[in-house]
Amino acid sequence: MPEMVTLTIDGTEVKVPKGTTILEAAKQVGKVIPHYCYHPGMSSPAMCRMCLVDVEGAPKPQASCVTTVMENQVVDTESSASVANRRGVLEFYLVNHPLDCPICDMSGECDLQDFVHAEGRDHGRSVEPKRVFGRDDFGGDVLFYGDRCVMCTRCVRFMSEVEQDERLTVVERGNRSVIDTFFEKGLDGTEWHGNIVDICPVGALVSKEFLHKTRAWDLDHTPSICASCSQGCNIELHTAENLVQRVKPRENLEVNAWWMCDYGRHDYEWINHGQRIEAPLVRDATGSSRTTGWKDALTSLLEGASGLNGTSVQIVVSARGSNEDLAALTKLQDVMGGGDKVFRVSQADEESALPGFPTLARRKDLGPNVGGAELLGISRVGESDGTGGLEAVKDHDGIIIVLGDNLEDQDETFGANAGLYVYLGTHECAATKAAHLVLPVTTFAEQEGTFTNHEGRIQRFWPALQPPGMARPAWLILGAVLAELSEGVAPRSAAEAFMNLAEAVPALRGLTYEGMGLSGSVSETAQHASLD
Amino acid sequence: MSDIPFSNPGWAGNTGEFDLTEKEVRGDDFVGDRPKDGGHPSGAGTMPYMLVDKDPDAPLFEGEYRQRFEKILTRYPDKRAALLPVLSLAQELRGHVSAESMDEVAGLLELSPAYVRGVTTFYTMYNKRAVGRYLVQVCTNISCNLCGADEVLQAFLRYTDAEMGETSKDGNFTVIEAECLAACGFPTCVQINSRYYENVTPADVAQIIEHLKPEGES
Repeated sequence: MPEMVTLTIDGTEVKVPKGTTILEAAKQVGKVIPHYCYHPGMSSPAMCRMCLVDVEGAPKPQASCVTTVMENQVVDTESSASVANRRGVLEFYLVNHPLDCPICDMSGECDLQDFVHAEGRDHGRSVEPKRVFGRDDFGGDVLFYGDRCVMCTRCVRFMSEVEQDERLTVVERGNRSVIDTFFEKGLDGTEWHGNIVDICPVGALVSKEFLHKTRAWDLDHTPSICASCSQGCNIELHTAENLVQRVKPRENLEVNAWWMCDYGRHDYEWINHGQRIEAPLVRDATGSSRTTGWKDALTSLLEGASGLNGTSVQIVVSARGSNEDLAALTKLQDVMGGGDKVFRVSQADEESALPGFPTLARRKDLGPNVGGAELLGISRVGESDGTGGLEAVKDHDGIIIVLGDNLEDQDETFGANAGLYVYLGTHECAATKAAHLVLPVTTFAEQEGTFTNHEGRIQRFWPALQPPGMARPAWLILGAVLAELSEGVAPRSAAEAFMNLAEAVPALRGLTYEGMGLSGSVSETAQHASLD
Repeated sequence: MSDIPFSNPGWAGNTGEFDLTEKEVRGDDFVGDRPKDGGHPSGAGTMPYMLVDKDPDAPLFEGEYRQRFEKILTRYPDKRAALLPVLSLAQELRGHVSAESMDEVAGLLELSPAYVRGVTTFYTMYNKRAVGRYLVQVCTNISCNLCGADEVLQAFLRYTDAEMGETSKDGNFTVIEAECLAACGFPTCVQINSRYYENVTPADVAQIIEHLKPEGES
């Protein structure tokens, strides 16, 4: 237990561990002291001069981002001197700022805009012409608008302290100083540079991919989990018009702190991929297929299965399926007679860790729920590029159920010998030609659920998009079938589906959606593993 | 007087001989053609005055310069700290600190090129572009300005036939304005390479330029 210090901030008493800065302590009482250069994940140069506050007894205003708390300290962030200071500093920031908010990507989520709106002068007094830098391509996904910059140097410090590849620097001095790269050697080749766009408090660093795509205030933010590797970075999906527009990291000090890799950040177009399967397809004996409703589809599934009692059930799942989906399928498989369970996942050549936060890395397994699949006893097959490994399943003559795997490497003969071949997925392909039933399911962005990351942490994600047509979460579809077969009760929510799972898997016993909250829980097996 | 076994030609304080002529103090070749031996290693990062003839393609660093480079490194706890004198050494050798020089220095000191660029551009005494044989820095700050620095500056530009900040056609002169040269008692102060010319008036300019031009040139 660290030593605690009691102090008063704006009349509210607060108790914080010794060594906390005034700025962090103020957050505890719900007070955000305006700041630019301070970021909790990096060193504080105290150079933006925005966070100066009055401390009783101190001869002059103190930079709250570097001043640590003291016993019985009395801090006033709203004193006339503090407010006058911020007003003055903001006026200086606007001397050379182009005020091009109408065409700026950051508009609507910009700290300069917010703070000036809250406390700045309504008119600047500068009459001199503004200094003009123009814009510069920093390489990678980053575009730099020099005139909007407030010289907080967060980006420079991120590259030197966190990514530890010092590609950015402050060039020149005084009024002419500007962020720049080493001439033409920009950010190309670095794997975490997208974060400097996130931490830029203004619109100086913007993403080329997101440039002029949509306005910040038109975006809905949904907490989610990155589905690009088994690290399980906490993210927000920013959506508009039922499309994911961009991905931003969400703070979780246990997993990814404030950061995420560029690979995950830009790997979202597959979620928006059109031409989805929108209704269940049933193929009759003649080979022609027709779309149908869910009731018909599930009825024909049950009919197909009833004639095949006792045959083995082979399942192929995707590492992008949620724990609930995978659990529903494995349980259904057990009820139907049991058989092999496999999944395939692409692998990167190697992990690439973030040097300044080494527990965060782009992991080798490029699927978010490899942990969940393995926990449920599903075994990994195939090559490291996510192909092959299905030779045994391909010609199986019993029941085949495929969930989520897009089978891109398979041809039309896949499942042709099967007594019943059910494909639950998002897109049709050659390998679905022989399927008796093609059922539309939702992606992780369209449903609620959980993923298990590489260290056994179970983390929730929330639906960000409307599913296309009649697509439903796999746990709902499979749960209904299972209830029919075992005369049980189908889960009505993802939380219920998870509870069923938690009861069945000893390692997850006791975990609930409520308990996981936004930052997830570590499963018992993982805890034991880390204790050993 | 003093038995200190060294004589600094630019410093007369120890001997009390304040009435030495400039020639007696500095010799004939105070901005002239010293052999490119790199100077004595103990000079480390500083030289009494810069060599006039630069070689932009000179290697970083070889021979005597390598010795000086090694000597500089011994003076600092880590390589990063040696950046400023090493950049000075590179400039002394090459005349200016080009992008290539920054990259090479970064390699020598195990720093990132971007960091070296940031440091180089922060300091005005590093020339980021090639300059002439003689870099003429005319102080136009308050004291000098009150005593006619603007006229001196114009005179230099006229006599060298150079644009402000640009190198003259013959490659001999680059004339720039300088902020205070810390010689406010002797306005107008002009620094040419590493030598100060004090109390300069427009009338002196022609003579200074003539003196600088190497023999055989008009």
